Amino acid sequence: NLQEINREGSLCYIENVAEWQQTYYASDSGIQSGATTVLDDESSTEYSGCKKYIGSTTTAPLQVIHYSLTRAQRVRAAMFPETLVEGEEAMPVQSDPSQQSNVQRLAEPSQLLKTAIVHLINYQDDAELATRAVPELTKLLADEDPIVVNKAAMIVNQLTRKEASRRVLVQSPAMVGAVVRAMTMAVDIETARCTASVLHSLSHQKEGLLAIFKSGGIPALVRMLSSPVESILFYAITTLHNLLLHQEGAKMAVRLADGLQRIVPLLKKSNPKFLAITTDCLQLLSYGNQESKLIILANGGPGGLVFITRNYNYEKLLWTTSRVLKVLSVCPSNKPAIVEAGGMQALGQHLTGSSQRLIQNCLWTLRNLSDAATKQDGLDGLLQILVAQLGSDDVNMLTCATGILSNLTCNNSRNKTLVTQYGGVEALIHAVLRAGEKEDVAEPAVCALRHLTSRHQDSELAQNAVRLHYGIPAVVKLLGQPHYWPVVKATVGLIRNLALCPANQAPLREAGAIPRLVNLLLKAHQDTQRHASSAQQTYQDGVRMEEIVEGCTGALHILARDPMNRGEIASMQTIPLFVQLLYSYVENVKRVSAGVLCELALDKQSAELIDAEGASAPLMELLHSNNEGIATYAAAVLFRISEDKSSDYRKRVSVELTHSLFKHDPAAWEMVRRDAGMTPTKEDTAK
Amino acid sequence: MNREEAPGKSPEDMYVQQKVRVLLMLKKMGSNLTPSEEAFLRNYAGVVHSQMSQLPQHNIDQGAEDVVMAFSRSEAEDRRQ
Repeated sequence: NLQEINREGSLCYIENVAEWQQTYYASDSGIQSGATTVLDDESSTEYSGCKKYIGSTTTAPLQVIHYSLTRAQRVRAAMFPETLVEGEEAMPVQSDPSQQSNVQRLAEPSQLLKTAIVHLINYQDDAELATRAVPELTKLLADEDPIVVNKAAMIVNQLTRKEASRRVLVQSPAMVGAVVRAMTMAVDIETARCTASVLHSLSHQKEGLLAIFKSGGIPALVRMLSSPVESILFYAITTLHNLLLHQEGAKMAVRLADGLQRIVPLLKKSNPKFLAITTDCLQLLSYGNQESKLIILANGGPGGLVFITRNYNYEKLLWTTSRVLKVLSVCPSNKPAIVEAGGMQALGQHLTGSSQRLIQNCLWTLRNLSDAATKQDGLDGLLQILVAQLGSDDVNMLTCATGILSNLTCNNSRNKTLVTQYGGVEALIHAVLRAGEKEDVAEPAVCALRHLTSRHQDSELAQNAVRLHYGIPAVVKLLGQPHYWPVVKATVGLIRNLALCPANQAPLREAGAIPRLVNLLLKAHQDTQRHASSAQQTYQDGVRMEEIVEGCTGALHILARDPMNRGEIASMQTIPLFVQLLYSYVENVKRVSAGVLCELALDKQSAELIDAEGASAPLMELLHSNNEGIATYAAAVLFRISEDKSSDYRKRVSVELTHSLFKHDPAAWEMVRRDAGMTPTKEDTAK
Repeated sequence: MNREEAPGKSPEDMYVQQKVRVLLMLKKMGSNLTPSEEAFLRNYAGVVHSQMSQLPQHNIDQGAEDVVMAFSRSEAEDRRQ
């Protein structure tokens, strides 16, 4: 009967319980064996008056009750005479057989109950017996005498072992409610354990789950999570787990009962099977529920989950834990906490095992976390594994590996150097080639290559490695149609970095980079002009065309360092466009266009064209830029186009340049102007 | 010819000082110089020497900064196994 509940997704707790028993139970509670010996509760010594009574009730005659005993004592005496303490001995009642005393009338239901027990003990399955016993047991569970409650609980527990009787129990909301209340009010551990066990048994069926839910079982079970008794904890968490899995409304009820605040601390327990159920509960409660995720965070969830990931080997537990971490990893508040707790390193431990589902979950989680982990130390091992995973044919694995590597190499020179040393460049090129049109692989792979080719001690090595591993044609090809703009943007940036290496200039030219870049630039610029009047920024695939303008011009700037490339760029009638870009409101665009003109102006013919396009005016303005790079390029272009100009012109350039150099030091500027014999202007006095 | 480069001297000196700085900055940023520009720097080696220490230490033009990709925008669909 317990087996029938092993539905898809639920953990096989039968085996768990068996193993649990071996670890924790001193005696057979009857869960596995179905034995009917639960009536003897030698496992508990917490209260007195509890003795074995197997066999003793089968022959005990009807007890006559002493008038001075309390109702509880009388009931106890009727049912379990052997538990009477000294002074409570039964005494015969003188009576007319035809007229029953009140006590005798009261005693009759107890007698029925006793008969029921007798039959149960004798292995008699009878739903009818259970039906007759249920109302009485319900009353007894609410009795003032804890011993009576305890006995009643044990009987009910016994009844749950048999399918027929269990069905009867489940159909009585009053009974289930009484069990819940008895569990909540229990003053002794045994009663608490017994009643928790009853609920646990009932939770294997739909009707049972509903009955528990309707009887306020969830808040009661949540309270039991604070019990110091392991077996009670086990029953409570497992019952809650079943409710969360199969009972509609249970998640909300658990949350409302502050269940998360009670469950998260259980992560400190050390039984792997218990932890597997606990973590699965957390996953069920937090998936898609932001508030739950924040509560888990507030109660130290990330630290507890990372600890488990780092220290356990039980696959099922690692898997359920990874699922919680995956759910939390999309929460902006949990993310940094997981990373700070060492989550990246811990998850990275499980990428080379045999469990595919665990590896995949760890990878997705790492990918989600990666943008918060750019400053983490100790990721050497992880980086090495990820580079190796770039050789995989599994698109999920490739998506994750490229994504994580892209983020971990972002602004982190140490990681960049490590990945380069681990052969990351070659592996990324192969990933790009295999990605085809899968943007989720291509974009991060190209970004990672872009990161590796600049701003670290081995960037030159990486720039050369791209060429040596035949990466240049593949990279340039990414600029072709159809345009997925994030990939185009990343590729343009990579090409710029590749061009920093003189040995790459010719291969880039030969692969046709220049015409592709120029055409992209023209297309993007036209787009920005089309929307300029509407003062609206256009996004395509989430990328602004201004970014493409900046990126292409920046790449052409570096490519123009090579004389042949310079000639090819100028021959495509790009100079008018570059001059126009000097007027851009985007500072970076101003910088790269001044930069490319600076390189082109090295050729006399181009310098004349630049001058003819009226570049002097905007360049004079740019001399005053706060950006020293812009001012430098502008000055250089002006120097170069003024080589053959009159001395007056050159003096004017000089004055403008001086003006910009001394604009923060008016006194010095005044001295220079006096020396040069210049009169002050309104503009100057305002400064 | 070595010249004094104290600011506030003649406009000609200012011009030399500025041009030397611009050319040194260009070199620092990885750009090429014309043959006459290289000759200019050789001519004013003294000014070059004094300007070198005044150049900014950081790299001026390294291109666009690295930017992270935000993958956790939406929760990956969960399949219970």
